[in-house]
Amino acid sequence: MAIGVRTPEAQARVDRLERVWLERPGVLGWLTTTDHKRIGLLYFFTSLVFFAAGGIEALFIRSQLLVPNEKLIAPDTFDQLFTMHGLTMIFLFVIPMSTGAFGNYLLPLMIGARDMAFPRLNAFTYWAFLCSGIFIYIGLFLGKAPDAGWFNYVPLASKQFDPGVNIDFYGLGLIFNGISTTAAAINFIVTIFKLRAPGMSINRMPLFAFAFLAVSFALVFALPPLNTALVFLELDRLAGFDFFNIAAGGAPLLWQHLFWLFGHPEVYIIILPAFGIATAIIPTFTGRRMIAFPLVALAEILVAFIGFGVWVHHMFSVGLAEVTMVYFAAASLIIVIPSAIQLFAWITTMVTGKPRFQTPLLWIVGFITFFIVGGLSGIMFAAIPFDQQLTDTYFVVAHFHFVIFGAAVFPILGGMYYWFPKVTGRLYHEGVGKLSFWLTFLGTALTFFPMHIVGLLGMPRRNYTYPPNVGWQPYNVAETLGSYILTAGLLLVAANLGWSLFRGRLAGNDPWNGDTLEWSTSSPPPPYNYAVIPYVTSPYPMWDRADREEDARRLDRGDLTLEGGHETIASTVLDAELDEILHMPSESPWPILLALALSGVFALLLTGHYGSALVFVGVAAAVLGAWHWKEPQPA
Amino acid sequence: MSSVATPRRGSLPNGVWGIALVIATEGAFLGCLIASYLYLGSRRETWPPPGIPEPHVLVPLILAGVLLATSVPMFFASFAARRGAARAAWLLIFAALIVQCGYLAYQVHLFLRDLDAFSPSASAYGSAYFTLLGAHHVHVLFGILLDVWLLARLTGGLSEYRVTAVRVVSWYWHFVNVLGVLITITIVSAAW
Repeated sequence: MAIGVRTPEAQARVDRLERVWLERPGVLGWLTTTDHKRIGLLYFFTSLVFFAAGGIEALFIRSQLLVPNEKLIAPDTFDQLFTMHGLTMIFLFVIPMSTGAFGNYLLPLMIGARDMAFPRLNAFTYWAFLCSGIFIYIGLFLGKAPDAGWFNYVPLASKQFDPGVNIDFYGLGLIFNGISTTAAAINFIVTIFKLRAPGMSINRMPLFAFAFLAVSFALVFALPPLNTALVFLELDRLAGFDFFNIAAGGAPLLWQHLFWLFGHPEVYIIILPAFGIATAIIPTFTGRRMIAFPLVALAEILVAFIGFGVWVHHMFSVGLAEVTMVYFAAASLIIVIPSAIQLFAWITTMVTGKPRFQTPLLWIVGFITFFIVGGLSGIMFAAIPFDQQLTDTYFVVAHFHFVIFGAAVFPILGGMYYWFPKVTGRLYHEGVGKLSFWLTFLGTALTFFPMHIVGLLGMPRRNYTYPPNVGWQPYNVAETLGSYILTAGLLLVAANLGWSLFRGRLAGNDPWNGDTLEWSTSSPPPPYNYAVIPYVTSPYPMWDRADREEDARRLDRGDLTLEGGHETIASTVLDAELDEILHMPSESPWPILLALALSGVFALLLTGHYGSALVFVGVAAAVLGAWHWKEPQPA
Repeated sequence: MSSVATPRRGSLPNGVWGIALVIATEGAFLGCLIASYLYLGSRRETWPPPGIPEPHVLVPLILAGVLLATSVPMFFASFAARRGAARAAWLLIFAALIVQCGYLAYQVHLFLRDLDAFSPSASAYGSAYFTLLGAHHVHVLFGILLDVWLLARLTGGLSEYRVTAVRVVSWYWHFVNVLGVLITITIVSAAW
């Protein structure tokens, strides 16, 4: 319990809430859970496993490239490894970790809700994500993993040049994965719009929530082009259609347009949650409010929006009309403005506050450093001749790893440290935490910075080896060494958190003097999150002491405690005025069953049993019908 | 059949927000299909390519108009449900369902006839044509399943949950109907 229970009536209310929100114990409870925190934890551990898998793939790649003409890995295995590395890190680690784990666990808490808007849909997104991940990885274990790179250009990826099932694992697996991600994004948007605590009008919403709102909208509109491309690809491959077949009037370029129409917004989908985490950590550890709050909020939305208008800058070397390229080059430069607004706001907030350089803030400093490096090399690519010179070299690899690993994953790691006390109730080890940061920071710089140089020297990406006499070896040795140091840093993070889970000092509700609502409840939070739905009067509700003391008095009175049933509140979209009491669904077996039925559909499509696949579509429809048969009832 | 007064809300219920976003993402998907069709067409001298008959114009346009007309009963079904008139809502949805089923049956008949005339796997035109139409038909079929589910539930009267369900399904049909018109115009445009 967070706020003091001072009267027997209040205690009775809390006891009632405990009973109402309690889920089944044991494994069955986890399989049927609709608790956003348990689903967040499932997402967390699953995407961590995929992170490890993607990391091991990267270590194989780096080991193969340590010296020229190395024969550790066969060329075709190398193709599968770098493709799976990209797929895993983007679709099975960063997105599920940032939206699935951080978003699920924290967003309802931050906005003062008791669950997500659609709890059963939320459970489904997890199980579908898990099944799609396993689906894609079965390909790797069969030695038939996707092998045409993460952007999978046709005609290389067409049946003619890649006749095995490798690419079908990619096409079908990503459609499956996209169903999960789309559903999750819709759920986040409705949750953010409708479930905010009374008084949390849109201008008082934490910047973390703004970032997740922007990401979710980007996902809703970015995944359809990808799905279109994937449907075309699979129709071409499985049924002999001709979307990408030049001889029959098709156009391989169509794949590139559709893919990058998704692929570029995807970059911001990856990095915006990181921005959100940064804007949650910075105020807490500098003890001051964010500078330029409205501008940062708008910049977050604007980045997601402009991201849809720049996709052709991935295609400058394709041979498009010059006027097209110039337009997209200019549009790409515009992204600098909202990015810089956020960057300067973070830096100014830190400089004008009293920063406490504890582990979470260190990761954010690392993030800002690497975002500047990766951002500056990104601007260079808007210059068309520069892009044409360096496309498909290691310079590109250096650029996007600084952005995606340095800038997107560092805040995730910082966020793990920051919210560890909230999720577990215990503190991590500060000294080891700092050491893990410095190791990872040095490892990252050493791995990816030399790639700029070998890229400029002309080393092409995705080649499984290189000749000895071109002067690339010293840089490759440094990169491989860096990747081992980086791995050591990440293992130290895992060791620190794993050890602290059992041995860490007790944290209490609010070890950091945090600014957002999640710090007002107990650590870990109870299943109902808040015994009383909080009233909010500013974007920094935890720093409004009087409001939080009032919460305790409202618990005494039973003002919005909703202990009568499985309930939370809905509020109006802009002003967050109390609108209605929502009767929330509780644990349900249907989400996992639907995910399993869909797994059957995709597995049968992959193996060419179209009739049986149709049967499983029917099963999925029946499950959906059953799912919606039981209505959430007022108690 | 009992009637339930819908609570007065200051904003749309969560379910309607949910379907609005489903429409946004599905609309983007069908938009990408239409754009791909037009993109492939714009790169060819003759569209449809030689040897493939031009698409029919009149019948598909009439059919699209008929489907669009089912938005009217769906709108009033949602209107009736919100006022607690379960039986009226049931009848209106049922009326719409009959027309929607007839529409789909006739469309499938045309689809099969086209399949006899030319193949989806012999030209990019065929691929785009059948994929676009097929995607539309799947949406119609899904809507019909939603109707059937809804009718089964409404026999037990209304609840707040079911009122929202009627509104959600009604929104879904407006979307399918408008997209049906856009897809038909896209397909028919090859004959001009």
